[in-house]
Amino acid sequence: MRGRPGPIAAACTYAGLIAVTAAVLYPVLLVCKKAIEPGRQFALSASPVPTAVTGAHFAELLGARGGDGTLLFLRHALNSVIAAAAATAVGILLSCTAAYALSRFRFPGQRAALTSFLVVQMFPATMLLLPLYVLLDRLGLLNSLAGLVLVYATTAIPFCVWTLKGYFDALPRELEEAARMDGAGPWTCFVRIVLPLARPGLAVTALFSFMTAWNEFIMASTFMTDEARYTLPVLIQSSVGQYSADWGLFAAGALVTSVPVMALFYVLQRYLVGGLTAGSVKG
Amino acid sequence: MSAARRPGAGPALRDWAIAAAFALAVASIVFVGHRNRELDARQRAWASVAASAVEHGEIPVEIDAAGVVGAARPSPRYPFLRQRWLVGERGAGRRLGGPDAPATDKILYDAAARCDAGGAFAALLPDGSGRAVAALPTRGGVAIAVTRPARPAPYPWLVVLGALGLGAVIAAAGALVGGRLRGVGVGIGGGLLAVPAFAWGGAATSVALAAGAAAVALASARGWTDRVAAGLGRHRAALGFLAPAVLAMGVLVATPFCVGLVLGFYDHRHGAWTFVGLANFAEILSGGGHGFDDPLNFWFVLGVTVLWTAANVLLHVGLGVALALGLRQPWLRGKGLFRVLLILPWAIPSYITALIWKGMFQGEYGAINSLLDAVGLAGVSWFSSWATAFAANVVTNTWLGFPFMMVVALGALESIPRDLYEAAEVDGATGWQRFRHITLPHLGPALAPAVVLGSIWTFNMFNVIFLVSAGQPGGSTDILVTDAYRWAFERGERYGMAAAYGTLIFLVLLLWTVFGTRIVRREPAP
Repeated sequence: MRGRPGPIAAACTYAGLIAVTAAVLYPVLLVCKKAIEPGRQFALSASPVPTAVTGAHFAELLGARGGDGTLLFLRHALNSVIAAAAATAVGILLSCTAAYALSRFRFPGQRAALTSFLVVQMFPATMLLLPLYVLLDRLGLLNSLAGLVLVYATTAIPFCVWTLKGYFDALPRELEEAARMDGAGPWTCFVRIVLPLARPGLAVTALFSFMTAWNEFIMASTFMTDEARYTLPVLIQSSVGQYSADWGLFAAGALVTSVPVMALFYVLQRYLVGGLTAGSVKG
Repeated sequence: MSAARRPGAGPALRDWAIAAAFALAVASIVFVGHRNRELDARQRAWASVAASAVEHGEIPVEIDAAGVVGAARPSPRYPFLRQRWLVGERGAGRRLGGPDAPATDKILYDAAARCDAGGAFAALLPDGSGRAVAALPTRGGVAIAVTRPARPAPYPWLVVLGALGLGAVIAAAGALVGGRLRGVGVGIGGGLLAVPAFAWGGAATSVALAAGAAAVALASARGWTDRVAAGLGRHRAALGFLAPAVLAMGVLVATPFCVGLVLGFYDHRHGAWTFVGLANFAEILSGGGHGFDDPLNFWFVLGVTVLWTAANVLLHVGLGVALALGLRQPWLRGKGLFRVLLILPWAIPSYITALIWKGMFQGEYGAINSLLDAVGLAGVSWFSSWATAFAANVVTNTWLGFPFMMVVALGALESIPRDLYEAAEVDGATGWQRFRHITLPHLGPALAPAVVLGSIWTFNMFNVIFLVSAGQPGGSTDILVTDAYRWAFERGERYGMAAAYGTLIFLVLLLWTVFGTRIVRREPAP
């Protein structure tokens, strides 16, 4: 082991780490402060300590009603859940067999298939925004959750294929080989052996896919024009629009929407790094 | 395949099935086109009959709206507006339009105006509803009828199936005889489909179908189809497993992608598309008559994008590696806490991060300006000059993006064997030498893919630009993806321009990925 460093080097390291950590925490603390402090302005002082405490922003956020009397926040949360969950379900269902094929079989065009899934995953959906808009308009699916699910599936499927392939690669092949010796076909191997073994991987992939759709903003804000069809990101963005900015409402909404997914992220993040870098190293 | 079947019969039937599926698709398309023409004629005839019924004072059944509309009269309050009234027994005396009027009033009014100008007519409504309107001049006004939406006629599957069945029999007979007759059987059987195709789609379609059948027959005789089928059969399981995702990607990604490519050759104004060839690309690549310092010039936006990507990736990598090196010191206390807090920005959804920073930069008394004030510096109006607005974007994106690089760098540092450092220390290497000759060579290959990935993310970082500076001042801080968005949704729906932008963005990214991965591969292995 290396010996202890000089006091100056140690002090510099601590100072640097503490400075960056403070810079990371400051905006977060400001948002927490704004969520419980009265007033619509964002910040009139640099201090992250609230001067007064109120629950009004949360009450306003959760209690707002739309033209037909429904609770808007609940409705938007429901829209978000439906869109994200459906996109995840579509993504996992359609991609798990493909991921298995890419992991276990050797066939002509395999490299091309792998590369195309990777490329599609790297070029984000923003590029397809306009053609998707035109197509959904033609199909009458603008302003509908079904259209949004289709759009989110364009991102979810390649992501799920790559991540699941990583998990399947890591599973031992001996069990399948033994089953093949006993006369099991590829489908039996997949359903009876691989899927049960990959359950944790499936869960993690599904959660990440869900989070991606849950946090998506620009597609939802472009395709959903009717307030009743908004998802939570659109609601939050519209609370600080160009003409009426209510930062208290924004802060409350931001906390309510992102704290659950942040907690999820912390639980799962070690799986994500592995998947991302493994995919890009091999591609 | 059962052993009892004669050799050759199976492949011929299979060829026939492929040809049939193809023909079925063509026939469906042709049939739909034919049906639309027929519906058009039928709806117009129906509307004409209904209109003449109205003319004779009868009330036609099965219609959406009908009536005799009087001549246009100036509105009493605003003489430049023209009003029309319903005359005759049905709904007489009601004025067309107004707050509680049925939606068909507009159709009646327009039809009356068109009839006054050009005489009797019958036409499909251009709203895609499949309704037709007919109008004829009559005593005291214009008799008008609007039909209900057309109901599509059933597809004559029986005819198609009959042709398919007869064709299958001929193909099978050819296959059973074997030899050269196998191809002939498939050709004649496939050619049969030209008969229903001729009935619906005319000579061109049936010739195309017959040519298709001949091509399949030739391929079958040459043995090409056998080879393709053998390949498909050998990898049957793999392809079957792959099929759902590939089909879904074909529909969900390839379709919009190809549509985007095609739309780049069209111009879209006021809801109408016109083919303009390469004009959009010419306008974009020539700068569209704007100077190189104008935010509407493509090259300006490309320059900003490249600068944006380079600045961010440099800051991400620099900050990430520095923090990772700091976190790796064995004597450091609170390592876990630092790590958890430092990856916080990665956990926050990027649109929320962007909006928070927008709030912090905004206004005279925003948080950033208050901080500057606290240390005795003058506040800055962040979004009124290019440099400060760009800086605000970069600060936001650096805050948001460094944890990814830090985590990747941490992983890479973990994988460097400790004994390398110990050996270097024994040899008397200084800290800088250890970093230069051990850490860097190990870090490079591990970071390279992350850098390529990170640069693509940054290149496409829509949310930060769109939400923080929103392109201010005057669109000058827009990057390519946000500029493409503005062409589509904020500059008079220039969808064609936006699609052409999308194509160019794709080409730039493709070039960068190809060269980026080259650079990654050239990196010497540790």
